[in-house]
Amino acid sequence: MLTLKVNGKSYTVDAPDSTPLLWVLRDHIGLTGTKYGCGIEVCGACTVLVDGEAEKSCDMEAREAVGKNITTIEGLSPDGSHPVQKAWVAEQVPQCGFCQSGMIMSAVSLLRRKPNPTDSDIDSGVNNLCVCGTYQRVRAAIHRAAKG
Amino acid sequence: MTGTISTRDDAAVDSFDRRGFLQRSGAAGLLYAFSIVAPVRGARAAGPSQPIGAFVRIGADENVTILVGVSEMGQGIASGIAQVVAEELMVDWSRVSVETVNAGTTYGNPFLRGTQGTFGSLSMRGYFAPMRKAGATVREMLRAAAAQAMNAPLSSLIAANGRVSSASGTMTYGQLAALAAQQTPMDKPPLLGTGRYVGVSLPRTDIPAKTTGAAIFGLDVRLPGMLYAAVVNSPVFGGTVSGALPPTPSGSVAVVGLDTAVAVIARDTYTAFRAAQSLAVKWQLPAGASGVSTASVLTQAQDLMATGEVQTAETVGVAQGTIVAAGTPLDRTYSFPYLAHACMEVLNCTALVTSTSCTIWAPTQAQTSTAATAARLTGLPASAITVNTTLLGGGLGRKIEQDFISQAIRIAQTVPGTPVKLTWSREQDFGADQYRSAALVRARASVDAVGNVSWWTRLVAPSYAYQHGGSTGIDFIAIAGATGLPYAFAGKLVEYVRHPAAVPVGSWRAIGCSINTFVAETMVDEIAAAAGSDPLAFRQKLLADNPRALAVVNAAASLANWTTPPAAGRARGLAFCFSDNAYVAMVVELSQPTAGSLRIFTVSCAVDVGMAVNPDSVIAQIEGGVVHGLSAALWGEVPISNGRASVRNFNNYRMVRMRDMPTINVRLIDGNPNSLGGAGEISVPPVAPAIANAVARLTGQRLRSLPLLRALTGGGTSSGSTSGTAGSGSGSGSSGSTNRSDSRGTGDRSERGEDD
Ligand code: FES
Ligand code: FES
Repeated sequence: MLTLKVNGKSYTVDAPDSTPLLWVLRDHIGLTGTKYGCGIEVCGACTVLVDGEAEKSCDMEAREAVGKNITTIEGLSPDGSHPVQKAWVAEQVPQCGFCQSGMIMSAVSLLRRKPNPTDSDIDSGVNNLCVCGTYQRVRAAIHRAAKG
Repeated sequence: MTGTISTRDDAAVDSFDRRGFLQRSGAAGLLYAFSIVAPVRGARAAGPSQPIGAFVRIGADENVTILVGVSEMGQGIASGIAQVVAEELMVDWSRVSVETVNAGTTYGNPFLRGTQGTFGSLSMRGYFAPMRKAGATVREMLRAAAAQAMNAPLSSLIAANGRVSSASGTMTYGQLAALAAQQTPMDKPPLLGTGRYVGVSLPRTDIPAKTTGAAIFGLDVRLPGMLYAAVVNSPVFGGTVSGALPPTPSGSVAVVGLDTAVAVIARDTYTAFRAAQSLAVKWQLPAGASGVSTASVLTQAQDLMATGEVQTAETVGVAQGTIVAAGTPLDRTYSFPYLAHACMEVLNCTALVTSTSCTIWAPTQAQTSTAATAARLTGLPASAITVNTTLLGGGLGRKIEQDFISQAIRIAQTVPGTPVKLTWSREQDFGADQYRSAALVRARASVDAVGNVSWWTRLVAPSYAYQHGGSTGIDFIAIAGATGLPYAFAGKLVEYVRHPAAVPVGSWRAIGCSINTFVAETMVDEIAAAAGSDPLAFRQKLLADNPRALAVVNAAASLANWTTPPAAGRARGLAFCFSDNAYVAMVVELSQPTAGSLRIFTVSCAVDVGMAVNPDSVIAQIEGGVVHGLSAALWGEVPISNGRASVRNFNNYRMVRMRDMPTINVRLIDGNPNSLGGAGEISVPPVAPAIANAVARLTGQRLRSLPLLRALTGGGTSSGSTSGTAGSGSGSGSSGSTNRSDSRGTGDRSERGEDD
């Protein structure tokens, strides 16, 4: 049994503690907003915040997350009103949308570190893969969110 | 925007309409099926909701649900079609939501003979006219209901903003819905065509849920008591399971043989992945299968180029089999690698089979085929089969195929009454893809003193149709973009040679066009240079009689400041493409910072899709297509070695990331309002030739094989040795060998991160 604190709520799950956090979130807790894309830490689809820092949940064993505050896309705001979410809608960023939870979590983390990121901060801070190719709008939305 | 649409096919619209409005009782059952899936968070308040015909539901809360037959995979089509309906229905966009509904002839695309599927950039072209009529039909049913309820003459009633009003009063659509559903649909309802929504960049209905985690993709389907499955597909093309199945790994539920794959059922995805990875499966391989490699495919293609059976796909102004060689022809050969789909969402499908029913939840582009697959495997009648279409995390043609669907159904058949979600690991998704075909093309072209062009191309490529059970004839998917070029060539001959390579091929974004446009557009630049002409001026002359083509070429040139020289060390390349009844021209500006590298600064695109129902969605599709085209142009290749794909995950399939992005400028030409074109694929093909043309102008080096960064460093198509460790696993393919699949993606840390 593992107890995890996700989006401010405590969840006790029956999964081996070496299971990646990604799969505990998705299959055991039922928070499916966090996506599987590669399983090897190269695509960013599974990005969540662990104590405020962006982490790829496919590569974090659930036991490493015990006692930490995990924030998933579902916990960013109750109603899609986080400034980054609003900027995403305003710029009509998502296409298929599958990468966007991870993209948004990376952007949130970048904006925490750099409230006014430059283009090159965005280049290095957001390395998530988007096969649909929404990068130009992701960049615009990050700038929009930074302006508040 | 008024007027009729030239793509309108009245017979098809009428039959669509009959299906949509006359089978009300049958449709009502289908409409609610999707709600079996876990409740969608953030969905509009659920209230009683009244279907009016098959395409519209109106709630007591005044919310309007528009039911569409298309799969939403990022192209914004579901929302776009809803705009068409909403405009005629006269409702507020803020009240509209969209659902993709089940397979069933009601929702079929008239352009796909009424079957339900989303591919070929055919959705808006097929659904525009009938869905517009559907909106108008429901509006008139609401007006007729109001006339009855308010006891007012129909002519005095105006429908607007979700209400029907007359001088004496107003009723809302929600109040009228039940009565409206009982009205007789008009045969030819008036089309208002106000232009309030059609042609306007309305916000897409699917986007908010994609920012909150509420959007439900196939991978996100959760059902009570659900089990999870993973597969190992034959690592070598064409292999089948040989002998006894391996035992069920501890912690798993069962192992299931699937002929060309073995599945493991477990209690969560990760356990299933791990278990599948641990299976020791014996594979029976077809003779020679393990000898298939990139090099062997190329050698075979070269032989076919010289001696294969040639089929003539197009002749213009020349006798078949001859080419007028005015001037000295250039004679060039081009080679193209296999490409993966690499949809962001891996293949997956959830199935629940009982003795009397089969229910499927899938990110599918092909609902009719999916239902047929279920009927074939279960022996159940069509009425017992339900296909629920989820959102798709990318489709790119791969999710037309039935392999993952039939696997899920067969797995679910072993646990009747229990839903099972099959998820392919990323390694399986790359390794058992049905790839964009490789190809070899030879082209000869010449231009005489007065500018007459003679043109001959011969394409050697696998046949998508043949591999999917079709004929050995000309594969129109493979040849797309080689035939029908809008250039006014004096003579033209296009030939096709079918290449029976063992590697499975499938659809892709822009498929044949992604190959043939490279040949056409780089060759046009070469003959322009041979004629001493500027690439823009040369195209202008060849497109002089085609105003729409000319307009996009001129607009792209002006967007890119073509006539002003670029900064020192930079060059521009131009390419054009006509496909899916749409025109696109593109100028790429780049530099070569170091030998073997390229820096792309800007991609300037001009596009004419005719009427753009949602201009911003069209622009988004063009932007996305450019990025897709860039990934393919610069790095895209799936090397084959030992009868298997060498690519296993994103760390050895490089794609564009944020740091690689050029600025993409898109100009939409105000197109013919009576013409509809597809926007989803057209911006892919011109990217690679525009880059190659820019490189030639910068350095004089002509790149004729893809990917371009490999060609730039003098390499041919990869032999498979350069993509990390993939393809070098055990079980190298002799008949009956033992193979352990997937060493990565589920926790092995030793081989990751090359791309990170
Ligand atoms: S799934 Fe974690 S980085 Fe791709
Ligand atoms: S929006 Fe589809 S992968 Fe990013």
